[in-house]
Amino acid sequence: MTDYIAGGRRLEDVPKTTKATGVPAVQYAVARRTGPPAAWWGMLMLISSEGVLFAAMMGTFFYLRFNDPQWPPKGDPEPKFIIPLIMVAVLSTTSPMMQGAWRAAREGRLMMVRGLLFLALIVQSGYFAYEVTDFGHEIQKTPISNDAYTSAHYVLLAADHAHVFVGILFNLWLIWKFSRGITTYRANALQAITLYWHFVVLLTWAVIGTILSAAVG
Amino acid sequence: MAIATPPTPTAAERMHLLETMWEGRPGILGWFTTTDHKKIGLLYFWTTLLLFGAGGAEALTMRTQLAVPNAHVVSPSTYDELFSLHGITMIFFFIIPMTTGAFGNYLLPLMIGARDMAFPRMNALSYWIFLWSGIFLYISFALGVAPNAGWFDYVPLANGHYDPGRNIDFYCLAIIFNGISSTLTAAQFIVTIFKSRAPGMSFNRMPLFCFAFLAASAGLLFALPLLTADTIFLFLDRNVGTHFFDVASGGSAFLWQHLFWMFGHPEVYILIVPAFGIATEIIPAFTQRRVTAFPLVAIAELLVVFIGFGVWAHHMYATGMATITAVFFGAATAMVVIPSTIQVFAWCMTMILGTARFKTPLLFIAGFIFMFVMGGLTGIMFVAIPFDQAVTDTYFIIAHFHYIIFGAAVFPIFGGMYYWFPKVTGKLYFELPGQISFWILFVGTNLLFFPMHIVGLLGMPRRQYTYPANLGWESYNLAETIGGYITAAGILLLLGNLFVSYFRGEEAGPDPWHGATLEWTTTSPPPPYNYAVIPKVSSAYANWDEEDRAEDRRKLATGVLVLQEGHEQVAVTPVDGTLDEIVEMPHDSPWPALLGLSLFLVFSMLVIGKYGVAGCFAIGCVLSLFGWHSKEPQE
Repeated sequence: MTDYIAGGRRLEDVPKTTKATGVPAVQYAVARRTGPPAAWWGMLMLISSEGVLFAAMMGTFFYLRFNDPQWPPKGDPEPKFIIPLIMVAVLSTTSPMMQGAWRAAREGRLMMVRGLLFLALIVQSGYFAYEVTDFGHEIQKTPISNDAYTSAHYVLLAADHAHVFVGILFNLWLIWKFSRGITTYRANALQAITLYWHFVVLLTWAVIGTILSAAVG
Repeated sequence: MAIATPPTPTAAERMHLLETMWEGRPGILGWFTTTDHKKIGLLYFWTTLLLFGAGGAEALTMRTQLAVPNAHVVSPSTYDELFSLHGITMIFFFIIPMTTGAFGNYLLPLMIGARDMAFPRMNALSYWIFLWSGIFLYISFALGVAPNAGWFDYVPLANGHYDPGRNIDFYCLAIIFNGISSTLTAAQFIVTIFKSRAPGMSFNRMPLFCFAFLAASAGLLFALPLLTADTIFLFLDRNVGTHFFDVASGGSAFLWQHLFWMFGHPEVYILIVPAFGIATEIIPAFTQRRVTAFPLVAIAELLVVFIGFGVWAHHMYATGMATITAVFFGAATAMVVIPSTIQVFAWCMTMILGTARFKTPLLFIAGFIFMFVMGGLTGIMFVAIPFDQAVTDTYFIIAHFHYIIFGAAVFPIFGGMYYWFPKVTGKLYFELPGQISFWILFVGTNLLFFPMHIVGLLGMPRRQYTYPANLGWESYNLAETIGGYITAAGILLLLGNLFVSYFRGEEAGPDPWHGATLEWTTTSPPPPYNYAVIPKVSSAYANWDEEDRAEDRRKLATGVLVLQEGHEQVAVTPVDGTLDEIVEMPHDSPWPALLGLSLFLVFSMLVIGKYGVAGCFAIGCVLSLFGWHSKEPQE
């Protein structure tokens, strides 16, 4: 009976995951689990929904483009190429950092978790500070109210920056949590937030690609 | 006592331990801080019922206005607000929250053998956001600036030039605010279905009700962001000066319609698929037979939502789209017939092959099938594109979608209210008034909506404030209005019956219908922990598996899977339902209610253009989230 419900394991071997605190207990609990936790699934749902939101925004960008004889319209500057690509490449380096932090948490290396999260936070914050400043300058030169192109351009960019900002808040929270030690709850949160962060990086590539497409053709 | 059979003393001790562990705070404060899915389901139920009353009152006022030609019961501008609010309320603030919020919340964890949702605090947050979004919407009505461009809110009518007040801003923000709640609910349901099922409940052993809610949740999750994007664009166009829908500056008015209907058509299935789920539980209980073609019905429930994403442009035939595009969408629309018909045949065959007892819940399901077929048949007529173009924006359309949305989506809700009333209250309802309420509603609904087909074919446009005499529309409109009042009487009788039954009904016991699913194995009403033992599941009709239930009783005596050491729940692998881990669940928390309030303040400031203050309240939201997560479940 117990074998049946526990998929071949003894019931005693099924981990009480969220009760686990401290390195050995968390390592044991996470290793015994066969699939991702509910937190990871919850995050997957959230990013699926957010993915559709961005698909709608990017779809809007192209829909308006294909209904407009000139894109960007006369008077609007063409998007810059080099710096946005460099910036998004820099942002992408934080994805392996977050993944590394989750791996370190799974292996119980707490100092490594903290270090990688902190490093990721520095890069994320630097990226965000630059982008927000650049956004401010751009919007002063070419207002959002110019035309449909500027509307779609800035809204897409702002939505992406907002997601980076949320990621930074997540990371700050994780650093605060892991400064107090490790629990499975925190490890689960790190796994879910790592997934979110990969999504944000992919999203940023997609957004930048969409925006740069205005300079093509 | 937690299960039907009298427990052994050891079992009683275990159940007492669970009771103390899972019982929430008493009193009013307990309702504010609860994370119990059953209490949250009841909160949803009462709130949506109140909003249903508001939506119904709006409908009756409109019908009174239209009862006779040249009437002036309300002003034209008030009439605009009434039909807009009626649509918004019934769709976003009644049917979705009643099905997913009330029925889903209360029943889904019970049906899958869980002790709570996967994320109980997020579940509470969904409710508080829903409540505040409803208050937000109706504040606009109290202030005389309710949405007034229809529930579909077409631009350019809804842009700042033609509708300069705050009406549409309230619309945009109420939709976005409410959408957050629905998204959280949808995500919650999917994860709960994936992770919190009783061990052994592989996907093929999951009740059809759960498949329906899975389909509706997936629909919500993927459709709502499209409307959110649309309403964000409109709000920005009106308040920040963007030009998404401004043709003169490179925008497109059709963009609104595309995004709206990409959401809007799946939305129709999001509304009715939970009703399918309710039907698939009531039919087996009152025929004592498993649903015919179970796998096909399960697939059809998922497929109908999936196909629903590919048919949006059939709402836009009159916009002058290319013929080839119209034909494509016509064909896609015709495809919806396949999964719909599979289900209709399965329901009918189950009733024919089983021993149908036409108690009130099954009567409502029979009524639902009739209405669904009626609405479906007129829906198929729209595949004929010239016909669709001829009746676009007439009362024929109103007739079609009310047969679907009221007949097919709301009748099962009424049936479900009767069916699960004994489970929720522990009392039996009175059968005869129940049956009378069905017949009143059935007659009233058909009298209300059927003549709309005729008056629509005669050319009466929808959203018409009044009409002149001598167009041949008078008698139909009068009949519709009488039908409206009969329908209202039927609803009042239904609610009155349930109200009186709560106080004077007979004791129901745990399983008055010999229902098929797990919720009938526990007491009525269920204890805070739902099940003393995490139940064993070998089929989708778990309550009819006597051996498994006997094994549960043995396990309670020995303590296997009682999980009495903490506020614990099992988590399983998503597909085959193998026990994977035991997780500690959160306790009651004030943070979801506080976060909901903070969000309400953010949206209130946004609607009056105080963006800085809104930002301050947004910081409050972030702090609430930090507070929320400061204490971990195991602490």
